Amino acid sequence: MSVMLQLSLIRSRARIVSMALGFGVFEYIVGLSYASVNHNAIRSLVASLPPALRVLAGQANIASPTGYLGSGYLHPVALTIQGALVISMASAVARDRESGAAELILSRPIAPWRWLTGQAVAVSIALCIVVAGGLIGGLIAVAQVHDLGSVHPASLMLASLMGGLMFLAVAGVTLLISIIATSGARAVGWSAGFVVISYAVNYLASIWTIAKPLGVISIFHHYDPGVITTRGHLSAVDVAALVGLTVVSVAASIVCVQRRELAST
Amino acid sequence: MTGGRAWVRSREMSDLAIDARGLTKNYKGARGITNVDLEVHRGESYGFLGPNGAGKTTFIRLCLGLLHAQSGSVAIFGHDVMVDRSRALAEIGYLPGELSLYGSLSGTATLDMLSRLHPRSPVRRHELLEVLGLTRADMRRPVRQYSRGMKQKLGLVAALEHDPPLAILDEPTGGLDPVVQLQLTDWLRERVHAGMTLFFSSHILSEVESLCDRVAMIRDGELLLVRDVNDLNLSSMRIVKMRFGSPTDPSAYSSRHISDIRVEGTLHECTLQGSPAALIDALTRCEIEELTMVPLSLEDAFRALYVPNSGEST
Repeated sequence: MSVMLQLSLIRSRARIVSMALGFGVFEYIVGLSYASVNHNAIRSLVASLPPALRVLAGQANIASPTGYLGSGYLHPVALTIQGALVISMASAVARDRESGAAELILSRPIAPWRWLTGQAVAVSIALCIVVAGGLIGGLIAVAQVHDLGSVHPASLMLASLMGGLMFLAVAGVTLLISIIATSGARAVGWSAGFVVISYAVNYLASIWTIAKPLGVISIFHHYDPGVITTRGHLSAVDVAALVGLTVVSVAASIVCVQRRELAST
Repeated sequence: MTGGRAWVRSREMSDLAIDARGLTKNYKGARGITNVDLEVHRGESYGFLGPNGAGKTTFIRLCLGLLHAQSGSVAIFGHDVMVDRSRALAEIGYLPGELSLYGSLSGTATLDMLSRLHPRSPVRRHELLEVLGLTRADMRRPVRQYSRGMKQKLGLVAALEHDPPLAILDEPTGGLDPVVQLQLTDWLRERVHAGMTLFFSSHILSEVESLCDRVAMIRDGELLLVRDVNDLNLSSMRIVKMRFGSPTDPSAYSSRHISDIRVEGTLHECTLQGSPAALIDALTRCEIEELTMVPLSLEDAFRALYVPNSGEST
């Protein structure tokens, strides 16, 4: 497994470093931007927005320092960086099957589940590095921007941790899809589709009463970084939901990979 | 297969490097292989011939447990691939037909990574690098910069560096220049002489003839024949094409060395085995306008060696 872990990290090292730096710079800029805005203007702007737009930033008050910084984790840039990382790395399983590179590995006495587990651990490590990059950027901003002084570093860490858990769940689902899908492109497409549909379901549930019960099935329902930075603690239910999805999807992937034919056809 | 059966089989068949019985694999909408029985003995050099799409690669992937058979079984040195895959694969060095490597890794990193996945030490790496002409500078470069031939060489080193008891090579000389092909053939012959079992697929008859003890031919997923390569005598077989000035009866030139005669007007085609002297002598008495003789291609060999509906299969 350690060979597959190393291989996966080596192949993705440029991507991991650039995304960690990018995420850090982005969160730093989000933090810096709080000093340059008129807080009353933000409050008025948020108050004037229709609910359908207001929910895009989560349930927290984005005029507050904690809500503002936390909502940076829900920005499309932050979501794209983390989503792109886990989907591109976890779908390598499908791409390697398609290209025949997996055949070279699996023709050696290595159990398919070890091959898959190596990939899963590599995605987890890479995600930790990128999430840490974002967190460091946010913490530097908190240290430099006086107006963000009320943001407790621990609450920012919890928000980062929860982001990591959500994208770990995305990685688990992508691994499962990659074992089932017949090509790398399909694995990426279906995984991206899962994230987009999940986002859409949560959005609809937030603005439409009839759809509200559906919200719980979305991973985004369990991730509101603005609320976490404001309250300073995590919801056990949300943590359990995201960890549960990760465990179930990875376990299903391991069962599937032992049964699937792994040669390209 | 149950563990008990696997144990019994392991005891009985350990002299067989590959023991496939009734192996059948069909794909959705595509032909795989049907009821293939094949035995490759320990220390044997075995050629697996067939045109593209015949089922060669499917058979090999079944031997490696990368595909699952609908029926039948295959054992490597007595280890059933579906029951005891790890022990079976520990005996094998494998070169895929469609080699795909990690472009971002250097040649050395690729070999190091692959060798760590195998329980046997890469004791023959340096020897193989020399035989195949891969230099230290080549090995430092990322694989994405390699030509097709260099990738093939790297794949061969990865397959053979740990001195496997059984080498399964799918089209091993593809992309190699003739000099390196000869060097590789010599090296493989030496290793087979030292006890390695070699099973390789090819569509190049001369390669199979020069290296193999036995040859199996497969087409449309069915094993057509298994023969001792000396019995085939393929190198002395030629396809003869003749154009006559007027309609000519084949009996004018036919003999026991000539088979598979086909006539279209004044154009005749047949397979000749052995010396052409008698045929040329007979043709001097006919109104021959044009005569060509070409070595046997793989398809010609199938035509010459396999008689449909004869029931001959092995």
